[in-house]
Amino acid sequence: MDLGLIYSIEETPAGLRVEMTMTSPGCPLASYLAGEARRAVVAVLPEVADVEVVLVWDPPWSPARMSEAARARLGGSSADDGPGWFSV
Amino acid sequence: MTGSAPTEGAPPPPPRALVALSVLSGAVALAAGIAGGLLRSGWALPVAPGAPIAHHGGLMVCGFLGTLIGVERSVALGLRWPWLAPLLSGIGGLMILGDLGGDWALRLILAGSVVLLAVTLAILLRQVALFTAVPVLGAVCLVAGNAHWTAGRAIPELVHAWMAFLLLTITGERLELGRLRRPPTSASRALGLLSALYVGAVLAIPWMPGPAVALAGALQIGLALWLWRYDVARVTVRTSGLARYVAVCLLLGFLWLAASGALLVAIGPVEYGLGYDATLHAFFLGFVFSMIFGHAPIIFPAIFRVPITYHPAFYVPFLVMHASLLARLGGDLVGSASWRSWGAAGNAAAILGFPAVLVVTGLREARRQASEG
Repeated sequence: MDLGLIYSIEETPAGLRVEMTMTSPGCPLASYLAGEARRAVVAVLPEVADVEVVLVWDPPWSPARMSEAARARLGGSSADDGPGWFSV
Repeated sequence: MTGSAPTEGAPPPPPRALVALSVLSGAVALAAGIAGGLLRSGWALPVAPGAPIAHHGGLMVCGFLGTLIGVERSVALGLRWPWLAPLLSGIGGLMILGDLGGDWALRLILAGSVVLLAVTLAILLRQVALFTAVPVLGAVCLVAGNAHWTAGRAIPELVHAWMAFLLLTITGERLELGRLRRPPTSASRALGLLSALYVGAVLAIPWMPGPAVALAGALQIGLALWLWRYDVARVTVRTSGLARYVAVCLLLGFLWLAASGALLVAIGPVEYGLGYDATLHAFFLGFVFSMIFGHAPIIFPAIFRVPITYHPAFYVPFLVMHASLLARLGGDLVGSASWRSWGAAGNAAAILGFPAVLVVTGLREARRQASEG
């Protein structure tokens, strides 16, 4: 949650639907982390019948989605977070 | 939280058969490549010396690392067609070893690198950004290097293209994570410029080796300094456990990258020999294998679906690698074949010991959890 990878959590007729992203579309951990996210939800809410985790790329993740706590831990500058080749 | 239109369903786990075939062929290329390295450094081994000695570099870079990176990218995209990249390079490596198919072995490896280039372009199209563009430049260099290889050029002429493939692939990955530290836009521009100039220098090496090698070496130092300055490892090295271990691997790797660049500037274009051995192994073992040692505990669970738990024993192969690499380069620089040989043996022990440490510590953790649960 601190990195802002979870975009939404919604109740559905079947259970819960989680939309999440990765810091990069080239991240090989996508499938693994989606499974971990599902396990984390099930651990907290075992009564939910079905937890669907969906990977989305739009809008792309940017550092602006990080929590203040995560920013403080990782340091760095207050860069422009807008779209563009050289913006982060 | 904001809503958004999903562009993918739930990401599928990687197909087991494709993972197994790719990883097995990569592992065979690695074993043969290590055997070839030991034979070259003077050790007598009970294996046929032909292909492993003649194609040590190709087996390590294309058969092993190219296949491994192809697997990583295929897992990331979650599609079937990208698996052609590791399969083609893996099968090509096996054909080299079996002395099968003549020139077709190298052609398959070249075809695999073209697929890998398409994979990096597919990732770029998902998100157009510097960190997805830099690996495309790396894949272009791999295609160029393999085209030269297929055309019969000597390895010293094309090995820089292989180095550029690995350096730019790794730089793209580190840049992606470096965004967590939010480097200033000027720093991103500097990295884009360094990468573009570096590719230009590397691609020019077969035609103007003297100035192009020196420029590539200087730019390699520049990239190492950038990574040292902006990588998130500078922050995470002050933490503990796995995060600290990964950061230590990365930072030491960046130092070796700079050292290799300095050797390129100092020695210039070299044919086979001790200077060549020092320059290349500072890069491939000091830099690239540091990245592998650092990334493997994070990436392997994604590929093999097996959790890996950090253990301080991870530092043992890491230390063996760097101590033996120092011995090897010392031997190279003073002309001692004995130091070089013992250093190479230590390098091999570290590479083979690393997966052994992962397996042993993983089994201990699984037993501990079973006894508790």
